[in-house]
Amino acid sequence: MSVRHLAIASFVVMLSACSPGGPDQSTPELRQVTLLLGYQPDVQFAPFYVAQREGFYADAGLEVTIEHRQAPDVQRLVADGQAEFGVADATDVMIARTAGIPIQYISTLYRSFPVALIGAEGAAPSDPSELAGRSIGTPGRFGSSWHALLALLDAGGLSEDDVQIREYPQFNQVDGLTNGDVELITGFRNNDALRVADRLGGMSLLTVDDVAPLPGPGVISGDELITSDPALVRAFIDATAEAQAAVIGDPDLGFAAAEANVPAIAENPEVARAVLEATAELWGGDAFAGGAIDQELWQSGYDTMRRLGLIDGSVALDEMIGTPAP
Amino acid sequence: MKRLATAALSLAVFLLIWKAAVVIGGYPDYILPAPEAVLERGLRAIASGVLWEHTAATLAEVVLGFVVGASVAVAVGTALGKSVFIERALSPYIVAAQAVPILALAPLLDIWFGGGLLARVAICALIVFFPIAIATMVGIRSADPLLAEMLRSLGATTAQRTRLLEIPSALPVIFGGLRVGVTLAVIGAVVAEWAGARTGLGVLVLIANQGLFDTALMFVALATLATIGLVFYGLVVFVERRVVPQ
Repeated sequence: MSVRHLAIASFVVMLSACSPGGPDQSTPELRQVTLLLGYQPDVQFAPFYVAQREGFYADAGLEVTIEHRQAPDVQRLVADGQAEFGVADATDVMIARTAGIPIQYISTLYRSFPVALIGAEGAAPSDPSELAGRSIGTPGRFGSSWHALLALLDAGGLSEDDVQIREYPQFNQVDGLTNGDVELITGFRNNDALRVADRLGGMSLLTVDDVAPLPGPGVISGDELITSDPALVRAFIDATAEAQAAVIGDPDLGFAAAEANVPAIAENPEVARAVLEATAELWGGDAFAGGAIDQELWQSGYDTMRRLGLIDGSVALDEMIGTPAP
Repeated sequence: MKRLATAALSLAVFLLIWKAAVVIGGYPDYILPAPEAVLERGLRAIASGVLWEHTAATLAEVVLGFVVGASVAVAVGTALGKSVFIERALSPYIVAAQAVPILALAPLLDIWFGGGLLARVAICALIVFFPIAIATMVGIRSADPLLAEMLRSLGATTAQRTRLLEIPSALPVIFGGLRVGVTLAVIGAVVAEWAGARTGLGVLVLIANQGLFDTALMFVALATLATIGLVFYGLVVFVERRVVPQ
């Protein structure tokens, strides 16, 4: 046990000593774990809210605390054991793992890659080679949006020098598109595409799945936990997949749980419902597979990421994905 | 020589505390890299040319943003100091502009100014403006009223009074504002880059942190920003010692 852990343990013991007396009212049979979701509370995280609210996690012997953190911190905190699970982009997992961060992708959430190139109606080409000379807005040279853009350009025989890239680090590229500053943007099909359609009265997409398949976001865990407690990891994966299947089958269930967890939904419930429905389509892809990892898709994505120079191949693919046996 | 030795000792103590925190806390490199890991990463970034490319972009923004922001601030601060009417008319807007979080406004400024260097200089200048304008206003008003009266009785014009009395008496306070402003210029450049840029140390921080998961490289970028702040602060102090009578 490190000094840090000792200090934290001492602090917890002190807090316990200061708490009101009486018998322990918690349910000791439930294993407490922390789940880190990126970004902020959002309807897209409905499976986790449902699993928590409808007792999927409790049935699996888990008491899950959900926290929202910025994407890079999710990987670091999970690797460091400060949280048991997190949600992260598969492409980021490849890079983080290559950079020496001991995490693995343990379960698929999105069967379809959620990022696409979005434009006004008729603006997005169907052939990526036609992207040459176009102006494209993207949050920056990081994250799944950047990886998707590079993969699309690569599929079209192009590089970033063949297009005009404008960066929107505050993720306001939709404003740039509707403002006419750029012709196309990278964005999420289940969210940004809806906003573009709403503002411009229509939109068009060039999806990664069609031309340069990459694995989508999923659940991650740390090497240490995967090795030391595979049953716990398996229980979390199964409970989450069960809840996700329940939301796909009954979106109202997911929406109700999301409403209880996402205050922003109250501002525009119609949009939130549309986002949930679009997200569920991405979860399912060709067929919902209960969180199973598509090895062939991962191999293809790994090769693409390597070709693009985003990873150097020093870490093998099988060290990046790891699902304990049922 | 004594000053250099003190600085070196201070740096050594800082590095020791940093190293101790890493060792005692048991932090892995991806949470808190050790000083030697950051140094090694920095040398690689210098050798590859990555660090210089981003540093050059940030330097240009800091210099231009500071020069533009400070020039406007001194002019406006002088007007505020000399005219109660102008102060009453403009102060609410200046204070309100300062109270608005620039981080929230920066993405819009980037779009309004069409992106590019102009937008980043504008954001940087906006951050630099307030402390220098207020310092100038306070400085202008700190002129000795007896000396002002004497100049008036000698028939000095407004311009002569400003040049011969008010600005010289305001200089120590203005330089106080410039010291604060020049460090804010570094922050302003990073904020501007986070609003939209292709190069710059702020961009490098984002790429290292969110794109490469390279914590050591992020620390290299942060250390470079700190160094830029220190160097420019030192330059302002250097000029101040030569301009302001000690």
